[in-house]
Amino acid sequence: MMDAGELELFRAALRQATSSHSGKALDDALAELGWRDALAADRRVAVSTLFELQGQANATSSALDVVMAEGPVVLPPLGSCDQPTARGLGTYAFANSAPDGVVLRPVDGIDPSLGLVEVSGQLPRTDASSWPDALAAGQLALAHELIGASRAMLELARTHALERVQFDRPIAAFQAVRHRLAETLVAIEAAGAATGAAWDMETPMAAAAAKAVAGRSARTVAKHCQQVLAGIGFTTEHPFHRYLRRVLVLDGLLGDTRTLTKRLGEELLTTRQLPPPLPL
Amino acid sequence: MELDEFRTLVDAWLDADADELAPPFTGTGTLDEQMTQLAKVKGAAYDAGWMRWGWPSRVGGLGGSSLLRGYLGEALTRRGLVEPGGYSMVEVLAPTMIDYARPELAAEMVPRLLRGEELWCQGFSEPGTGSNLGALACRAVRDRESWRVTGQKVWTSFAQYSQRCVLLTRTGTPESAHRGITAMFVDMTSPGITVRPLGTMHGGAEFCEVFFDDVSVPFDRTLGEEGQGWSVAMDLLPFERSTALWHRSAFLNRRLEQLLADAPPDSLSATEVGDVFVQLFALRARSRGTQYRMAAGEHLGPETSVDKILLAATEQALFDLVGAALADDVVLGGDAVGEQWRAQYLYSRAATIYGGSAEIQRNIVARRLLDLGAET
Ligand SMILES: Cc1cc2nc3c(=O)[nH]c(=O)nc-3n(C[C@H](O)[C@H](O)[C@H](O)COP(=O)(O)OP(=O)(O)OC[C@H]3O[C@@H](n4cnc5c(N)ncnc54)[C@H](O)[C@@H]3O)c2cc1C
Repeated sequence: MMDAGELELFRAALRQATSSHSGKALDDALAELGWRDALAADRRVAVSTLFELQGQANATSSALDVVMAEGPVVLPPLGSCDQPTARGLGTYAFANSAPDGVVLRPVDGIDPSLGLVEVSGQLPRTDASSWPDALAAGQLALAHELIGASRAMLELARTHALERVQFDRPIAAFQAVRHRLAETLVAIEAAGAATGAAWDMETPMAAAAAKAVAGRSARTVAKHCQQVLAGIGFTTEHPFHRYLRRVLVLDGLLGDTRTLTKRLGEELLTTRQLPPPLPL
Repeated sequence: MELDEFRTLVDAWLDADADELAPPFTGTGTLDEQMTQLAKVKGAAYDAGWMRWGWPSRVGGLGGSSLLRGYLGEALTRRGLVEPGGYSMVEVLAPTMIDYARPELAAEMVPRLLRGEELWCQGFSEPGTGSNLGALACRAVRDRESWRVTGQKVWTSFAQYSQRCVLLTRTGTPESAHRGITAMFVDMTSPGITVRPLGTMHGGAEFCEVFFDDVSVPFDRTLGEEGQGWSVAMDLLPFERSTALWHRSAFLNRRLEQLLADAPPDSLSATEVGDVFVQLFALRARSRGTQYRMAAGEHLGPETSVDKILLAATEQALFDLVGAALADDVVLGGDAVGEQWRAQYLYSRAATIYGGSAEIQRNIVARRLLDLGAET
């Protein structure tokens, strides 16, 4: 466990790394500052801090692979949370170290800067029994990344609302704008709380619920912030579009909100019982 | 007493005394029956000691973390022994007394509330003042021996059952706005008070109009200083959004469980059930965080509006689902079970109104948490 001072330094180092690097360069920076040691020492702090900052900076790294499988991993196809068998998605880390017999096709899609690849052919065999834990670990990491991206969108929209003047006043003075931003903050806080609870509960169901809340919140945040940013937010000169793109991909990895929500509902309808609730 | 030990002991007590504590009626019961049940359960919990944990010794408590109160209310609610609304008035009004009443008054009165011997109500809203609380008009003037109060309150929950009222009055000029408000602790038996219950759409008469005609209130019943009523109110409202809200989340959990048990096959879609489940998951996670901040001695403020917004949205989402899946009960049901679903469905419609409306909560979030400056 880190004490408060160490945590502050760790966070500052990660903020520096994620705001100046992305991809392979960020991996190198993480290696240099000892993120894997931190992961071994205090998983929750290492994962939550890195992924929120990575989301906030719109950066990417191979940390998701590390968190799930200590190395390159094949993710399920977009939307799905089942262990991939015939085809899936890989991060650039997987693409750079793909075994023989695997067919890779670069995905540009809505967020080309992520460097995702479509993976098919002979997928590396992994133990099916380790999937639920890997999935839960990945879902929590992605939930944090979604929260980071959401915070960045809110900051962009909030600053804009205070600076943009229409009808002789900042648009932040209009209640319709204020309520959209309030809705945004509430969504982010809900996701933050759900993710924290999932760390405490350590059940696959809690991780899935947290990812579902984070994905749903991020979409709400994107919708409201885009409306507040209006024209300027629709240009590629403004950073907003990068977050919108990122959020749509992150929500789809390891189960999108819709799939996870439906799965959870199916489980409840099968057992007709709630799992033990989060205790005080 | 630590939380884990408390949990074990309370659960054992509730198991052992389950029969005596159970309500003697099925379904919701009448409001009279509910109040009798509430007093019975609080009395028993007080005598057994549980109700005293988490409160300071200067008001008859046994000390310990406020988390113990959070757990007790959760356990009582989860087992359907109390309605969270009535029970949690303790969580709203006792902290106000502890923080603002003369120490001797708090020491005398709070135990009566905890024991279930008395019920108290909260007289804030007036016919002309709902959301705009700072404009309230119920007037209190200084006489030689006491305040004299004249005016009207409305939607005062449980006023017809209450022995006391935490009342907000105007002591400054009408223009003094929030600076000219004074809070006081009023005996509901005082001459000059008339209570007229109002029917509510969910059945019963949960709230009332309360008329004050030159009512004498001793000066030593003032809560805080003259003119400090706004602070009293602003400190009280976050309590409504902390422990009380945690109790309410336990109620929602219980009702979602019941919905799963009662709903006919094919009446529920997995997506809708999952959606309510994840909202409730996030609500409880948020409210739990607030419980821990409060237990650590942090001052609760506008950030509790986030909790309230989540509660209102979750409660309405759950009962929207109830309304659809158990339409036969909600719309047509004539037995105790149907009436209970209907009452709870209708009550959920008020979740975005009472305790500061959905819009007011968003105004608070925008102004205080996002620091967006003044609204036009
Ligand atoms: C079941 C129940 C129990 C209650 N119990 C109590 C109690 O025990 N004690 C007590 O004092 N009161 C109680 N109330 C009253 C409650 O606090 C008020 O109803 C509430 O504050 C709203 O006031 P209002 O009804 O006058 O609505 P109004 O203030 O007239 O508001 C009407 C509508 O306008 C909106 N609005 C108002 N101002 C703004 C604004 N600035 N920006 C945007 N929208 C705005 C509101 O959100 C609302 O939708 C209770 C109410 C209910 C329903």
